[in-house]
Order: sequence, then structure tokens, then C-alpha cells
Amino acid sequence: MTRRTRQAVYRTCWILALSAVAIPFVFPFLWMISSGFKSANEIFGQPNLIPSVWHWENFAEIFRYQPFARQYFNSIYIAIVVTLLVLVFSSLAGYALARIRFAGSALLMLFLLSALMVPEEVTIIPNFFLFKWLGLMDTHVPLIVLPVFGSHGIMATFLMRQYFLALPKEIEEAATMDGLSRFGIWMRIALPMSRPALAAVAIITFLFSWNLFLEPLVFVNSLNLFTLPLALSNFTDPYGLPLWHLQLAATSLAVIPILLVYIIAQRQIIESFAMSGVKG
Amino acid sequence: MTSVTLKDIKKRFGGVDVIRGIDLHVEDGEFTVFVGPSGCGKSTLLRMISGLEDITSGTLAIGEQTMNEVSAAKRGVAMVFQSYALYPHLKVRENMGFGLKVRKLEKAEIARRVNEAAATLKIDDLLDRYPRELSGGQRQRVAIGRAIVGNPDVFLFDEPLSNLDAELRVHMRSELASLHRRLRTTMIYVTHDQIEAMTLADKIVVLNQGRIEQVGTPRELYTRPRNVFVAQFIGSPKMNILPVAGLQASSRFIEHLPEGASCIGMRPEHLTIVDASHGMLKGRLTLSEYTGAGSLLHVSLPDGTVCLVLQNGPSAPKIDDEVGIDISRDDMHYFDAEYRAIRAN
Repeated sequence: MTRRTRQAVYRTCWILALSAVAIPFVFPFLWMISSGFKSANEIFGQPNLIPSVWHWENFAEIFRYQPFARQYFNSIYIAIVVTLLVLVFSSLAGYALARIRFAGSALLMLFLLSALMVPEEVTIIPNFFLFKWLGLMDTHVPLIVLPVFGSHGIMATFLMRQYFLALPKEIEEAATMDGLSRFGIWMRIALPMSRPALAAVAIITFLFSWNLFLEPLVFVNSLNLFTLPLALSNFTDPYGLPLWHLQLAATSLAVIPILLVYIIAQRQIIESFAMSGVKG
Repeated sequence: MTSVTLKDIKKRFGGVDVIRGIDLHVEDGEFTVFVGPSGCGKSTLLRMISGLEDITSGTLAIGEQTMNEVSAAKRGVAMVFQSYALYPHLKVRENMGFGLKVRKLEKAEIARRVNEAAATLKIDDLLDRYPRELSGGQRQRVAIGRAIVGNPDVFLFDEPLSNLDAELRVHMRSELASLHRRLRTTMIYVTHDQIEAMTLADKIVVLNQGRIEQVGTPRELYTRPRNVFVAQFIGSPKMNILPVAGLQASSRFIEHLPEGASCIGMRPEHLTIVDASHGMLKGRLTLSEYTGAGSLLHVSLPDGTVCLVLQNGPSAPKIDDEVGIDISRDDMHYFDAEYRAIRAN
């Protein structure tokens, strides 16, 4: 066997092995998409990937069943607003904690990080009463405010702080000599130099907001204000049982933005998870 | 062109005195080098002049104006950092013009000054590159260019050549010297490399533990060091300091010692190896380091002290040979018990 043939065999074996490992991960996803085109009865028949009859009308039905387009828009705009706000606040706070010397800054960071230890389920009740008292129930405000200033915002601040700490101080001193103020250094030097960290925070935040379920469930009642995770769970019959064909068709549509983000920014996503130490 | 005057400048970090009262005057257009071992406070002093570090007490004046409370950008100084400190997200052209843009100069004026500085430093063809696309020497040139475009009254250099390889360092050193000749602007330069200090400076300030040990021209510091610290810091290899007590030397050597001399200083390059029966000092050769142009000989004296001798030429005595060491009286330095220089009659 020549060296070239040996390499080809080796390569083929690798591809086959990896494909075998990928099946458990890819099959449910493909099954979800194909089931979106099946009737409710066929879904629980043979677990075949190709529908016997293609039910394209499932996708039209989604939009008739509830204001799905509006809910889709809600998820998109909330995720974008949350991402932008988290980027602004986490980079400002992270920069201040990394670079401005003030009494108790390390203690403050420790205090903030300790908030990460408190599970969301514990704080949801006080938050519920707070937003009720503020008259913000059944609005999108809690869905924006909580990720920005809650544990996710703290995590983002921590990530940004760590990144800013690693930036060379001399560059900022050169900017000081050039006449920039502290705010100018943050905006014109530190931020452009932190693009990888900002990209990581943006991706993680977008995914976090997109997948948020508990908060919409607690704070939102009107169908028009639902976000996608809540809307998906709402495809039920009058007895409360899931309408699987509609739910899976809707889920197939719901993953499109995330899929697009993954395809466009694969490298940054992997880096961002490596950087944040969280799972995807 | 502007002078820089420091009056009783002090700096304290927490409970530690880093700069312990510096008085210094840097003349218009002078190239002054701060030199000293690591931790002596030379960079801190430079940063205090730049405005990057607050002054705990004392007065700093640039020209006629007191600068203690003036912000770094308004002192009329430009600084070149050891790590170049170029903005990685900006091209060379934008890096050089950044300060002018912050000062809201017109675009045409910025372009004119950047092009002029680039031509001076021969980096015209690098203007549209990012710093990551440049070599160390090119980056250093850009950093100097960024300083030049602002037409500062004073240039500050914080060990700007430390990150370059030996060959490039020598080349950039000569470029800096010619830049100073061309601009005739006041320059203050920090280095721990005494060769850099000797070759570049009009005036050297030797610092140690936050204090000035001596200020003078390179020649003054080499020929008339004020104390043992300066004597040993300036010159390479460093000066041999031999305690007079216990020294077994020829009568010719001992009888000319000035009163109060407790140590004798002899530069290795001023010593010559002679026959054991003729030298002022006698010893045994323990090590010979070949340097190309000659050899650095380690001679062990009877009291155990090792005396370094820099011998030119290819020949050198053999290890364990008994040798004599000779020196001209004019090349000898004398120090008292407190390591201060004593001038011979």
C-alpha cells in the first residue's frame, strides 16, 4: 500500500467514524424539520425522515393559530435591544472595574460575582413583585431589564473586565498623551481593541435572550407580547396537549436566525464559548 | 526648544519613596539620558515629567511654566514607549495623525505633517499598513513619527530600543542621534544600557534608589566618577574596585595612594598583563573569556579578589599562569571608606 493510499484509507475511516458520532446529534434536528411537514398522526408512526405526504399547510397554520409573526418579531427585537444594552453596560462597567482605581473595586467585583451564585428561580419572585409594583407586568420591559442588569449582565461585565485587564496599559497612556479623556480612551481605543470580546458577549447575549423562557412565562400574558419560546409551548389543543406537527414546524422556523448566526460566525461562537467557559 | 527644570521632585507610592528629591536642569535642545539599574526610579521620573504620573511634591517646569497640575496632553511633550504602544486597529497613517485629529487639526494639515514625518523617518511606504504588518524596527520608527508630528517641545523616550535585537538597536541608536542633530529639540531618554547612554547623551543622569548619583557628560562620568556606584555603572566590563587593606602590591603602587583612600578603582581596559615580576599587582589567571578582538582575563589576587583585565590581541596567558598587572597612575581612581571619589594630587 502506497503512502497516498494509506492516507486516503485513514481519512475515510476518520470521516466514517465522525459521521457515526454525529448521527445522535444530527438526527433529532433533521427529524424536527421533517416532522414539521408531517401530519400529527404520522409523527408518532415510523421514525422516518421523509414524510409520506408533505403537509406544507402546517407552516401556514402556525400563523393562523396565534400571532406568530408578531411573536417572532418580539423575539428578534428584544434579543437585539438586550444585546446592544448588554454590550454598552458591560463594556462600560468592565472598563471601569479593570482600569479605574477606586476604593473597593475588587470587593465590588466580588460582590457582583457572588450574585451569579443565586439561581434565577430564587430571584424571580421578588422580581415579579418589583415589576408588578412598578406597573410593568405584561410588558417587554422585564424581558429587557433582567438580562441586562441580572446575572447575565454581570457575567458579560466580568468577561469584558478580564479582557480589558489584558490590554496593554501603554496604549492607553499613549492615548492620554494624545489628548483623549477617559471616556475617549474607552470609546476610541479600548472598544475597537476589544472586538473579539465584544463579539463573544454579543453572541452569548443574543442566544441567552433568544432562549429566555422563564421570564416571558412569568411577566407576559398577552399573546401579542409572547416571545418565541413561550409561543412554541402554546401550540396546544383545547385539552392542553401539544400539537406536535405545528410545534415542530414552528420550532423549525424559530431556529433559522440562530442557525444563520452559527453559519456566519462559527469561529467567533467557538471562541466566545471558550472565552466564557460556558456550554453552547 | 524648551528647558526642563525639576526642583526637589518626590514620588511616593503608598508608603514607599520611589523618587527622593530630584533637582535637575535640562537645557534647551539637550539630549539627556537617565540611566540606572532596574527599580532606580528612572522611568517613574520620566512619567512624572510626561504627566502620566502625579508628582507627590516638588516643582516641575517646562520652559517657564510650572507643569505639576497640567494634563499630559497639554505639556507640549511627546513620549515614545518601550513597547511602541501603537494603536493596533489603526493604520500607520492614522496612528501618526491620531493626536492631531484629537486636537481637531484640519485634515490637510494632518496629512502634511504625517507625510513630512514619514519622509524624515523613511517610512513613506508603510503608511497604509497596520502595526501588526511591521517589523520591530519599523514599529519603533512609527512610534517616533507619532511623536514628531505633534511638534513637541520635549521628546521623552522610555527605553525605546529595549525590544529590538542587538544589530537593529545599534542602527536605531545612530538614527536617534541624527534625528536629534536635525531637530535640536530637548530630548530625555531612559535606558538601563550604559552604552546607549554614553553614545547618545549630551548629559547623563545616573540614578540609584530614587536619587541622583551624578550628572555630567559621558566623558566626565567615565573619567571622573563621583563614587563607586557611578564608577562601576559606567563602563563595560565594570571597574575593578580593590580594597587597599590587605592588598599585596609593589611599593610603587602603594606610595602614591592619596590620603584617606580606602579603595582603588581600575578599569579593565586600562590594565595590562605583564611579567609576574614586573607588575604593580600579582595574581593567578583563573579564567580567560575570548571576545574576538581580545580576551577578558579573570586574575585572582593573593587576597582572593578577582581582578578583570581586558586584553587586546589574540595572545593571552595560560590558565593558572602567574601574571603581573600594570596600570598607568593617571588611570587609577581612589575612593574613601564611604565609597566617595578622592582626587589624586
